[in-house]
Amino acid sequence: MRLSELWRTTTFRLSLLYGLLFTVGAVALLAMVYVRSAVYLTHRVDDILAVEAAAQMRVPAERLKPTIDDALLINGRNSVFALFAADRTRETGNLTTLPAGLEPGGRPIEMSPTPDFPAAARLIARQLPSGEILVVGRDINQLREIRRIIASALIWSGVLIVLAGLVFGAALSLGPIRRLRQLQEANHDIAAGDLKRRMPTSKRGDELDMFAGAVNYMLGEVERLMGEVKTSSETIAHDLRTPLTRARAQLHRLEQAPKVLPGEIAGVTAELDEVLERFIAILRISELETRARSAGFAPTPLDRIVSQVGDLYQPLAEEADLRFQVVAPPLPPVDADPKLMVEALSNLVDNAIKFTPPGGAVRLALEPGPEGPRIVVQDNGPGVPQGERTAVLQRFYRAERDRLTPGSGLGLSIVAAIVRLHRFRLELQDAGPGLRVIIDCHPAPITY
Amino acid sequence: MNAPGVPGPPPEARVTRVLVIEDDRQTAEEIAACLTASGFEASKCFDGPAGLAAAKSQAFDAITLDRMMPGLDGLELVKALREAGSQAPVLMVSALSDVDDRVDGLRAGGDDYLVKPFAPKELVARLEVLLRRHRRSEVETRLQVADLELDLVRREAYRAGKTIELLPMEFQLLEFMMRNAGQLLTRRMIFESVWEYYFDPGTNLINVHVGKLRRKIDGPGLLPLIRTERGQGYMLHAP
Repeated sequence: MRLSELWRTTTFRLSLLYGLLFTVGAVALLAMVYVRSAVYLTHRVDDILAVEAAAQMRVPAERLKPTIDDALLINGRNSVFALFAADRTRETGNLTTLPAGLEPGGRPIEMSPTPDFPAAARLIARQLPSGEILVVGRDINQLREIRRIIASALIWSGVLIVLAGLVFGAALSLGPIRRLRQLQEANHDIAAGDLKRRMPTSKRGDELDMFAGAVNYMLGEVERLMGEVKTSSETIAHDLRTPLTRARAQLHRLEQAPKVLPGEIAGVTAELDEVLERFIAILRISELETRARSAGFAPTPLDRIVSQVGDLYQPLAEEADLRFQVVAPPLPPVDADPKLMVEALSNLVDNAIKFTPPGGAVRLALEPGPEGPRIVVQDNGPGVPQGERTAVLQRFYRAERDRLTPGSGLGLSIVAAIVRLHRFRLELQDAGPGLRVIIDCHPAPITY
Repeated sequence: MNAPGVPGPPPEARVTRVLVIEDDRQTAEEIAACLTASGFEASKCFDGPAGLAAAKSQAFDAITLDRMMPGLDGLELVKALREAGSQAPVLMVSALSDVDDRVDGLRAGGDDYLVKPFAPKELVARLEVLLRRHRRSEVETRLQVADLELDLVRREAYRAGKTIELLPMEFQLLEFMMRNAGQLLTRRMIFESVWEYYFDPGTNLINVHVGKLRRKIDGPGLLPLIRTERGQGYMLHAP
């Protein structure tokens, strides 16, 4: 693992940031403890010095020197007692000179170790009525020691927290980096064409899993669409091969024949017309699929559409000796492209008439459904077998029954494309006997 | 180009000039050949700007135009042409069976839209219908072909002096056929002009509607006026 890779992971950066924040917090806490205790201890020393100085000052002048000497005998190792004349020459005590900056009656000062007194000390000075200067002091090594301990605790704990943060951050980042590696590998395979491959997910359901899940959903869609395109291409190629082969064979025969009859050329033209017709339908479907969703949409009274289609096909049904029933009660309009709806219904009614034997019945009806209006086209012809009902809605799929009848055979594909464009729902049911096609004219919500 | 006895352009009228704007040279040649065979004089342009310049500089009676040309959309070309003051009818030829709003606008402007692949005869037929509609200047109140009469004001039809009962759609169908008497009308042209739907109606639908009308018009003992052009469409003309 490269360091830069580690640095780029969110986990690592977060751990480092937390480490820094924690260090700052800990330093602030210890600094407060240090300042508070240092101030407190210094005050205590100062108070003791003031009390001792006051006690010495109460001693009569003639007894002061012996008293200081006595005190030095008892406490000379950790206390300072000294008496200076008014001209600042030493009279007695364990200091040879009056330290610079020490003013009688002024603030306490701190003194570094000297040959006279081998420890750091805190001193105060008092002016006696005789003009002499009394100096009292105490060893403050203990205080300095405490300060040192607290300061080192600060430094070490800071270093430890930062180090621990780094190590933990790196350790925590290893997992996500390994997962990312796996995702990258999967991605590489998919980009290379393995559409069956999926992004690996764990059971944790964390953010990487959510992301991988979304990518997997997308891959599923892509795989489905690619499959559909492949199937479509194969369907088209397969469908067109038959008429083209027949046309070619006929042309070949005409080439060999000594004399060409006009009807024979017409036969070839008819084959090619069939191919062209299918191409037009295929183009139409592609066009419907790429069309901007709401282009041409307007509130459309479906009853009018149904009546128009009914009027259009009434003569055809009569000619085919079918009972044709049209039911179009006024219902609230729906948002739709009226021309495309006429086209869809025409295809359905045309199919129903084409596949219903003479004497049968075709019904075109607008009905109020549970969610919105629905259009039902029903016949009592042979119907579509259960297994083929979903297939006929696929792009460019030609039902078995369409292979023997004239026309592009892509009517249902066109209907399906129009219904998809409207986000309506198309359903094929067994009408026992016959086929019932239902268009649920209630737009489905957009889901991702 | 017309069947004998059918009212057409007067014989002294000059040759109808058509400008073919099409970037595919072979298609352009075929369209031009087909137009020449039908008695038109065809000029060719192989790209949009040249086509626009030609249409602006010379007087053409009609224009056929490819929708998809590099550099210039056919619809834009029509717009530029109209802005330049040209009134020549345009037949747009396109690989898209597109029914977008702009195409609707084109059709509303009296022009036509033909989807590739097309039969050359269909192109010529559509062009003839366009030209005829374009030349018709005065408002007609009465149409007549042989002993078939159509009163456009009272919306009534007569054959040999006797009234024929027609449904509204049948009247519109007959009006379209009589306005274009002597002219081949394909099923798709009929469907688009009479019903104003622009999808493939299948072969039988229009046959049945024309058949119904024919039974009413060409009654027993009368000379048939509606002729079927096998595999292509219909033509209404005097016997």
